[in-house]
Amino acid sequence: MTRSQRSVHRALWPVLALAVALGFGMALALRPPPDVAAPQAAEELNP
Amino acid sequence: MSTAFRAVQWNRAKLVYDGILLAGVALYIGAYLAVVYWIDPPKDLPAAIDLCIRAFGTCAFIMLTIILSIGPLARLDRRFLPLLYNRRHFGVLTFLIALVHASFMIEWYAVQNALPSLYDELTKVSDYGKFIGFPFKALGIVTLLILFLMAATSHDYWLVFLRPSVWKRLHMALYAAYGLVVMHVALGVMQNDRNPFIPAMLASGFAIVTLLHVVAGWRERAGDRAGVRGSEGWLAVGPPLSIPDKGARIVTAPDGERIAIFRDGTQIGALSNLCAHQNGPIGEGRIIDGCVTCPWHGYQYRLADGCAPPPFTEKLVTYRVRIAHGVVEVDPRPLVPGTAAAMRYE
Repeated sequence: MTRSQRSVHRALWPVLALAVALGFGMALALRPPPDVAAPQAAEELNP
Repeated sequence: MSTAFRAVQWNRAKLVYDGILLAGVALYIGAYLAVVYWIDPPKDLPAAIDLCIRAFGTCAFIMLTIILSIGPLARLDRRFLPLLYNRRHFGVLTFLIALVHASFMIEWYAVQNALPSLYDELTKVSDYGKFIGFPFKALGIVTLLILFLMAATSHDYWLVFLRPSVWKRLHMALYAAYGLVVMHVALGVMQNDRNPFIPAMLASGFAIVTLLHVVAGWRERAGDRAGVRGSEGWLAVGPPLSIPDKGARIVTAPDGERIAIFRDGTQIGALSNLCAHQNGPIGEGRIIDGCVTCPWHGYQYRLADGCAPPPFTEKLVTYRVRIAHGVVEVDPRPLVPGTAAAMRYE
Protein backbone atom coordinates (compact mmCIF):
# COMPACT_ATOMS: atom_id res chain seq x y z
CA MET A 1 0.00 0.00 0.00
CA THR A 2 1.12 3.55 -0.68
CA ARG A 3 1.58 5.97 2.19
CA SER A 4 -1.75 7.68 1.39
CA GLN A 5 -3.56 4.33 1.23
CA ARG A 6 -2.16 3.46 4.64
CA SER A 7 -3.31 6.84 5.98
CA VAL A 8 -6.85 6.36 4.64
CA HIS A 9 -6.90 2.84 6.01
CA ARG A 10 -5.82 3.95 9.46
CA ALA A 11 -8.26 6.84 9.55
CA LEU A 12 -11.18 4.78 8.27
CA TRP A 13 -10.78 1.72 10.44
CA PRO A 14 -11.17 3.12 13.96
CA VAL A 15 -14.17 5.28 12.92
CA LEU A 16 -15.93 2.37 11.25
CA ALA A 17 -15.11 -0.06 14.05
CA LEU A 18 -16.42 2.33 16.71
CA ALA A 19 -19.59 3.10 14.74
CA VAL A 20 -20.37 -0.56 14.16
CA ALA A 21 -19.55 -1.54 17.76
CA LEU A 22 -21.83 1.22 19.01
CA GLY A 23 -24.62 0.26 16.60
CA PHE A 24 -24.36 -3.41 17.45
CA GLY A 25 -24.30 -2.69 21.20
CA MET A 26 -27.39 -0.48 20.93
CA ALA A 27 -29.22 -3.02 18.77
CA LEU A 28 -28.48 -5.68 21.39
CA ALA A 29 -29.42 -3.51 24.37
CA LEU A 30 -32.63 -2.17 22.83
CA ARG A 31 -33.94 -5.55 21.72
CA PRO A 32 -37.53 -6.04 22.82
CA PRO A 33 -37.85 -8.64 25.57
CA PRO A 34 -38.71 -12.17 24.40
CA ASP A 35 -42.38 -12.04 25.44
CA VAL A 36 -42.84 -8.81 23.46
CA ALA A 37 -40.79 -9.95 20.52
CA ALA A 38 -43.08 -12.83 19.65
CA PRO A 39 -46.29 -10.86 18.95
CA GLN A 40 -44.28 -8.14 17.18
CA ALA A 41 -42.70 -10.68 14.91
CA ALA A 42 -46.09 -12.15 14.17
CA GLU A 43 -47.47 -8.74 13.21
CA GLU A 44 -44.72 -7.94 10.76
CA LEU A 45 -44.10 -10.13 7.78
CA ASN A 46 -40.46 -11.01 8.02
CA PRO A 47 -38.54 -14.14 7.19
CA MET B 1 1.19 -11.47 -15.47
CA SER B 2 -0.23 -11.03 -18.92
CA THR B 3 0.45 -9.13 -22.10
CA ALA B 4 -3.07 -9.57 -23.46
CA PHE B 5 -6.62 -9.70 -22.13
CA ARG B 6 -7.83 -13.00 -20.80
CA ALA B 7 -11.08 -13.51 -18.86
CA VAL B 8 -9.34 -15.55 -16.15
CA GLN B 9 -5.69 -16.59 -16.22
CA TRP B 10 -6.26 -20.05 -14.85
CA ASN B 11 -3.38 -21.95 -13.36
CA ARG B 12 -3.12 -24.91 -11.02
CA ALA B 13 -2.94 -22.76 -7.88
CA LYS B 14 -6.14 -20.90 -8.83
CA LEU B 15 -7.96 -24.12 -9.66
CA VAL B 16 -6.96 -25.65 -6.31
CA TYR B 17 -7.92 -22.44 -4.49
CA ASP B 18 -11.33 -22.26 -6.17
CA GLY B 19 -11.91 -25.99 -5.68
CA ILE B 20 -11.30 -25.71 -1.94
CA LEU B 21 -13.44 -22.57 -1.81
CA LEU B 22 -16.41 -24.16 -3.57
CA ALA B 23 -16.10 -27.34 -1.51
CA GLY B 24 -16.01 -25.30 1.71
CA VAL B 25 -19.11 -23.32 0.74
CA ALA B 26 -21.02 -26.43 -0.34
CA LEU B 27 -20.01 -28.20 2.86
CA TYR B 28 -21.10 -25.31 5.07
CA ILE B 29 -24.46 -24.78 3.37
CA GLY B 30 -25.13 -28.52 3.17
CA ALA B 31 -24.23 -29.04 6.83
CA TYR B 32 -26.30 -26.03 7.95
CA LEU B 33 -29.39 -27.20 6.05
CA ALA B 34 -28.98 -30.81 7.21
CA VAL B 35 -28.45 -29.98 10.89
CA VAL B 36 -31.31 -27.46 11.15
CA TYR B 37 -33.61 -29.71 9.12
CA TRP B 38 -32.78 -32.57 11.48
CA ILE B 39 -33.33 -30.49 14.66
CA ASP B 40 -36.40 -28.57 13.55
CA PRO B 41 -37.81 -29.58 10.15
CA PRO B 42 -39.57 -26.69 8.37
CA LYS B 43 -43.32 -26.97 8.56
CA ASP B 44 -44.18 -25.30 5.27
CA LEU B 45 -42.62 -23.79 2.15
CA PRO B 46 -41.95 -20.31 3.64
CA ALA B 47 -40.19 -21.97 6.59
CA ALA B 48 -38.06 -24.03 4.19
CA ILE B 49 -37.15 -20.88 2.24
CA ASP B 50 -36.36 -19.09 5.52
CA LEU B 51 -33.91 -21.88 6.29
CA CYS B 52 -32.16 -21.26 2.96
CA ILE B 53 -32.10 -17.51 3.63
CA ARG B 54 -30.26 -18.14 6.90
CA ALA B 55 -27.89 -20.75 5.44
CA PHE B 56 -26.74 -18.48 2.61
CA GLY B 57 -26.80 -15.35 4.79
CA THR B 58 -24.57 -16.79 7.50
CA CYS B 59 -22.31 -18.26 4.81
CA ALA B 60 -21.89 -14.82 3.18
CA PHE B 61 -21.15 -13.24 6.58
CA ILE B 62 -18.50 -15.84 7.43
CA MET B 63 -16.95 -15.44 3.96
CA LEU B 64 -16.79 -11.66 4.36
CA THR B 65 -15.19 -12.08 7.77
CA ILE B 66 -12.56 -14.41 6.30
CA ILE B 67 -11.88 -12.11 3.34
CA LEU B 68 -11.28 -9.15 5.65
CA SER B 69 -9.07 -11.26 7.90
CA ILE B 70 -6.81 -12.51 5.09
CA GLY B 71 -5.03 -9.17 4.60
CA PRO B 72 -3.87 -8.66 8.20
CA LEU B 73 -3.22 -12.41 8.66
CA ALA B 74 -0.88 -12.40 5.65
CA ARG B 75 0.96 -9.40 7.07
CA LEU B 76 1.31 -11.03 10.48
CA ASP B 77 2.33 -14.47 9.22
CA ARG B 78 3.61 -15.39 5.75
CA ARG B 79 1.94 -18.80 5.99
CA PHE B 80 -1.37 -17.08 5.22
CA LEU B 81 -0.08 -15.59 1.94
CA PRO B 82 -1.57 -18.41 -0.19
CA LEU B 83 -5.02 -17.30 0.99
CA LEU B 84 -4.36 -13.88 -0.48
CA TYR B 85 -3.36 -15.21 -3.88
CA ASN B 86 -6.88 -15.63 -5.27
CA ARG B 87 -8.85 -13.47 -2.84
CA ARG B 88 -10.72 -11.84 -5.71
CA HIS B 89 -12.43 -15.12 -6.61
CA PHE B 90 -13.32 -15.44 -2.92
CA GLY B 91 -14.94 -12.00 -3.13
CA VAL B 92 -16.88 -12.78 -6.31
CA LEU B 93 -18.18 -16.01 -4.78
CA THR B 94 -19.22 -14.07 -1.66
CA PHE B 95 -21.24 -11.71 -3.84
CA LEU B 96 -22.94 -14.68 -5.52
CA ILE B 97 -23.79 -16.28 -2.15
CA ALA B 98 -25.21 -12.95 -0.92
CA LEU B 99 -27.21 -12.69 -4.16
CA VAL B 100 -28.72 -16.14 -3.57
CA HIS B 101 -29.54 -15.07 0.00
CA ALA B 102 -31.39 -12.00 -1.38
CA SER B 103 -33.15 -14.11 -4.04
CA PHE B 104 -34.49 -16.48 -1.39
CA MET B 105 -35.72 -13.49 0.58
CA ILE B 106 -37.72 -12.26 -2.43
CA GLU B 107 -38.94 -15.81 -3.00
CA TRP B 108 -40.15 -15.94 0.62
CA TYR B 109 -42.44 -12.98 -0.02
CA ALA B 110 -43.42 -14.21 -3.46
CA VAL B 111 -44.69 -17.63 -2.33
CA GLN B 112 -46.98 -15.85 0.11
CA ASN B 113 -48.15 -13.32 -2.49
CA ALA B 114 -46.71 -10.64 -0.19
CA LEU B 115 -44.29 -8.80 -2.45
CA PRO B 116 -46.23 -5.53 -1.95
CA SER B 117 -45.45 -5.69 1.79
CA LEU B 118 -41.73 -5.92 0.94
CA TYR B 119 -42.14 -2.84 -1.21
CA ASP B 120 -44.01 -1.06 1.60
CA GLU B 121 -41.30 -1.99 4.09
CA LEU B 122 -38.57 -0.53 1.91
CA THR B 123 -40.46 2.64 1.00
CA LYS B 124 -41.92 3.61 4.39
CA VAL B 125 -39.86 6.75 4.83
CA SER B 126 -40.77 7.29 8.52
CA ASP B 127 -39.10 3.98 9.47
CA TYR B 128 -35.76 5.30 8.23
CA GLY B 129 -35.76 7.69 11.19
CA LYS B 130 -35.99 4.87 13.71
CA PHE B 131 -33.14 2.83 15.11
CA ILE B 132 -35.04 -0.28 16.20
CA GLY B 133 -37.44 -0.75 13.32
CA PHE B 134 -35.04 0.63 10.69
CA PRO B 135 -35.69 -1.11 7.34
CA PHE B 136 -32.74 -3.45 7.74
CA LYS B 137 -33.29 -4.98 4.31
CA ALA B 138 -32.21 -1.65 2.83
CA LEU B 139 -28.82 -2.15 4.53
CA GLY B 140 -28.61 -5.58 2.91
CA ILE B 141 -29.44 -4.10 -0.51
CA VAL B 142 -26.74 -1.43 -0.18
CA THR B 143 -24.26 -4.14 0.86
CA LEU B 144 -25.23 -6.23 -2.15
CA LEU B 145 -24.69 -3.23 -4.43
CA ILE B 146 -21.23 -2.65 -2.96
CA LEU B 147 -20.35 -6.33 -3.38
CA PHE B 148 -21.63 -6.20 -6.96
CA LEU B 149 -19.50 -3.13 -7.71
CA MET B 150 -16.46 -4.86 -6.28
CA ALA B 151 -17.12 -8.16 -8.05
CA ALA B 152 -17.72 -6.33 -11.35
CA THR B 153 -14.45 -4.40 -11.07
CA SER B 154 -12.39 -7.26 -9.68
CA HIS B 155 -10.87 -8.15 -13.04
CA ASP B 156 -7.36 -7.01 -13.95
CA TYR B 157 -8.88 -5.01 -16.80
CA TRP B 158 -10.42 -2.64 -14.24
CA LEU B 159 -7.28 -2.71 -12.15
CA VAL B 160 -5.29 -1.37 -15.11
CA PHE B 161 -8.07 0.96 -16.26
CA LEU B 162 -8.59 2.57 -12.84
CA ARG B 163 -4.91 2.32 -11.80
CA PRO B 164 -3.95 0.29 -8.72
CA SER B 165 -4.19 3.20 -6.26
CA VAL B 166 -7.77 4.14 -7.29
CA TRP B 167 -8.80 0.48 -7.55
CA LYS B 168 -7.44 -0.18 -4.09
CA ARG B 169 -9.38 2.72 -2.61
CA LEU B 170 -12.55 1.60 -4.34
CA HIS B 171 -12.15 -1.87 -2.90
CA MET B 172 -11.78 -0.46 0.60
CA ALA B 173 -15.58 -0.08 0.38
CA LEU B 174 -15.59 -3.68 1.57
CA TYR B 175 -15.06 -2.36 5.10
CA ALA B 176 -18.24 -0.31 4.81
CA ALA B 177 -20.04 -3.34 3.40
CA TYR B 178 -18.99 -5.40 6.40
CA GLY B 179 -20.28 -2.75 8.82
CA LEU B 180 -23.59 -2.64 6.93
CA VAL B 181 -23.90 -6.42 7.09
CA VAL B 182 -23.36 -6.42 10.85
CA MET B 183 -26.12 -3.83 11.24
CA HIS B 184 -28.34 -5.63 8.70
CA VAL B 185 -28.30 -8.69 10.96
CA ALA B 186 -28.33 -6.76 14.26
CA LEU B 187 -31.40 -4.73 13.30
CA GLY B 188 -33.00 -7.61 11.45
CA VAL B 189 -33.04 -11.21 12.52
CA MET B 190 -31.34 -10.47 15.86
CA GLN B 191 -34.36 -8.40 16.95
CA ASN B 192 -36.89 -11.19 16.47
CA ASP B 193 -34.88 -14.34 17.02
CA ARG B 194 -33.47 -14.88 20.52
CA ASN B 195 -31.03 -17.56 19.36
CA PRO B 196 -27.78 -16.56 21.14
CA PHE B 197 -25.81 -17.87 18.16
CA ILE B 198 -26.74 -14.75 16.15
CA PRO B 199 -25.21 -12.04 18.40
CA ALA B 200 -22.34 -14.41 19.21
CA MET B 201 -21.56 -14.88 15.50
CA LEU B 202 -21.76 -11.16 14.81
CA ALA B 203 -19.69 -10.10 17.81
CA SER B 204 -17.00 -12.74 17.35
CA GLY B 205 -16.67 -12.11 13.59
CA PHE B 206 -16.45 -8.37 14.06
CA ALA B 207 -14.04 -8.71 17.01
CA ILE B 208 -11.73 -11.02 15.03
CA VAL B 209 -11.58 -8.66 12.04
CA THR B 210 -11.04 -5.59 14.24
CA LEU B 211 -8.40 -7.22 16.42
CA LEU B 212 -6.43 -8.50 13.43
CA HIS B 213 -6.45 -5.07 11.80
CA VAL B 214 -5.42 -3.33 15.02
CA VAL B 215 -2.52 -5.74 15.62
CA ALA B 216 -1.34 -5.66 11.99
CA GLY B 217 -1.68 -1.86 11.90
CA TRP B 218 0.29 -1.53 15.12
CA ARG B 219 3.11 -3.62 13.72
CA GLU B 220 3.04 -1.64 10.49
CA ARG B 221 3.52 1.66 12.32
CA ALA B 222 7.09 0.76 13.16
CA GLY B 223 7.81 0.45 9.43
CA ASP B 224 6.59 3.98 8.81
CA ARG B 225 9.43 5.63 10.69
CA ALA B 226 11.84 7.23 8.23
CA GLY B 227 15.13 5.36 7.83
CA VAL B 228 18.40 6.57 9.37
CA ARG B 229 19.88 9.34 7.24
CA GLY B 230 23.43 8.87 6.05
CA SER B 231 25.54 11.42 4.22
CA GLU B 232 23.95 13.57 1.46
CA GLY B 233 20.47 12.50 2.49
CA TRP B 234 21.05 8.84 1.59
CA LEU B 235 19.44 6.30 3.90
CA ALA B 236 21.55 3.73 5.71
CA VAL B 237 20.35 0.15 5.24
CA GLY B 238 23.10 -1.87 6.94
CA PRO B 239 26.02 -4.11 5.97
CA PRO B 240 25.42 -6.06 2.73
CA LEU B 241 25.08 -9.34 4.59
CA SER B 242 22.37 -7.89 6.82
CA ILE B 243 20.13 -8.10 3.75
CA PRO B 244 18.99 -11.71 3.42
CA ASP B 245 20.20 -13.40 0.26
CA LYS B 246 17.36 -13.43 -2.33
CA GLY B 247 15.34 -11.35 0.10
CA ALA B 248 15.00 -7.71 1.05
CA ARG B 249 15.15 -5.17 3.80
CA ILE B 250 12.62 -2.36 3.72
CA VAL B 251 13.42 1.24 4.64
CA THR B 252 11.09 4.21 4.67
CA ALA B 253 11.90 7.35 2.70
CA PRO B 254 11.36 10.77 4.31
CA ASP B 255 8.16 11.17 2.23
CA GLY B 256 6.74 8.03 3.89
CA GLU B 257 6.98 5.71 0.88
CA ARG B 258 8.81 2.42 1.39
CA ILE B 259 11.86 1.19 -0.48
CA ALA B 260 12.78 -2.50 -0.78
CA ILE B 261 16.52 -3.20 -0.94
CA PHE B 262 17.14 -6.68 -2.32
CA ARG B 263 20.32 -8.74 -2.38
CA ASP B 264 20.88 -11.48 -4.92
CA GLY B 265 24.31 -12.91 -4.09
CA THR B 266 26.65 -9.98 -4.69
CA GLN B 267 24.09 -7.84 -6.50
CA ILE B 268 22.18 -5.20 -4.53
CA GLY B 269 19.31 -3.16 -5.90
CA ALA B 270 16.54 -0.96 -4.56
CA LEU B 271 12.99 -0.93 -5.87
CA SER B 272 9.74 0.70 -4.84
CA ASN B 273 7.98 -1.49 -2.29
CA LEU B 274 4.81 -1.23 -4.40
CA CYS B 275 4.11 -3.93 -6.95
CA ALA B 276 2.82 -2.46 -10.22
CA HIS B 277 -0.07 -4.94 -10.17
CA GLN B 278 -2.00 -4.32 -6.92
CA ASN B 279 0.51 -2.28 -4.91
CA GLY B 280 1.47 -5.43 -3.02
CA PRO B 281 4.47 -5.30 -0.63
CA ILE B 282 7.16 -6.40 -3.05
CA GLY B 283 9.85 -6.18 -0.35
CA GLU B 284 8.21 -9.10 1.45
CA GLY B 285 8.75 -11.22 -1.65
CA ARG B 286 11.76 -13.28 -2.70
CA ILE B 287 14.06 -13.49 -5.70
CA ILE B 288 12.85 -16.48 -7.69
CA ASP B 289 14.42 -17.53 -11.00
CA GLY B 290 16.54 -14.37 -10.91
CA CYS B 291 13.55 -12.04 -10.57
CA VAL B 292 12.08 -10.18 -7.62
CA THR B 293 8.71 -11.85 -7.10
CA CYS B 294 5.72 -10.19 -5.44
CA PRO B 295 4.38 -12.31 -2.56
CA TRP B 296 0.77 -11.53 -3.45
CA HIS B 297 0.31 -12.71 -7.04
CA GLY B 298 3.78 -13.63 -8.27
CA TYR B 299 4.42 -10.60 -10.53
CA GLN B 300 8.13 -10.54 -11.36
CA TYR B 301 10.70 -7.80 -11.97
CA ARG B 302 14.42 -7.75 -12.72
CA LEU B 303 16.47 -6.48 -9.79
CA ALA B 304 18.84 -4.62 -12.13
CA ASP B 305 16.27 -2.19 -13.56
CA GLY B 306 12.83 -2.97 -12.05
CA CYS B 307 11.45 -4.08 -15.42
CA ALA B 308 9.28 -7.19 -15.78
CA PRO B 309 11.03 -9.73 -18.00
CA PRO B 310 9.84 -9.77 -21.65
CA PRO B 311 7.18 -10.05 -22.97
CA PHE B 312 5.74 -8.28 -19.91
CA THR B 313 5.82 -4.51 -19.72
CA GLU B 314 5.38 -3.57 -16.03
CA LYS B 315 8.11 -1.36 -14.53
CA LEU B 316 8.92 -0.36 -10.98
CA VAL B 317 10.49 2.80 -9.64
CA THR B 318 14.15 2.13 -8.81
CA TYR B 319 16.60 3.87 -6.46
CA ARG B 320 20.34 4.35 -6.53
CA VAL B 321 22.37 2.30 -4.05
CA ARG B 322 25.98 2.50 -2.88
CA ILE B 323 28.22 1.12 -0.16
CA ALA B 324 29.87 3.65 2.14
CA HIS B 325 32.14 2.48 4.98
CA GLY B 326 30.79 -1.06 4.64
CA VAL B 327 27.16 0.07 4.89
CA VAL B 328 24.63 -0.15 2.06
CA GLU B 329 22.95 3.19 1.48
CA VAL B 330 20.02 4.08 -0.73
CA ASP B 331 19.19 7.44 -2.29
CA PRO B 332 15.51 8.07 -1.40
CA ARG B 333 14.97 10.18 -4.55
CA PRO B 334 13.09 7.87 -6.97
CA LEU B 335 14.39 7.26 -10.47
CA VAL B 336 12.21 6.91 -13.54
CA PRO B 337 10.56 3.44 -13.50
CA GLY B 338 12.77 0.91 -15.28
CA THR B 339 16.06 2.79 -14.73
CA ALA B 340 19.01 0.46 -14.17
CA ALA B 341 20.41 1.24 -10.71
CA ALA B 342 21.53 -2.01 -9.05
CA MET B 343 25.19 -2.51 -8.13
CA ARG B 344 27.61 -5.35 -7.40
CA TYR B 345 29.97 -5.48 -4.45
CA GLU B 346 33.11 -7.51 -3.84
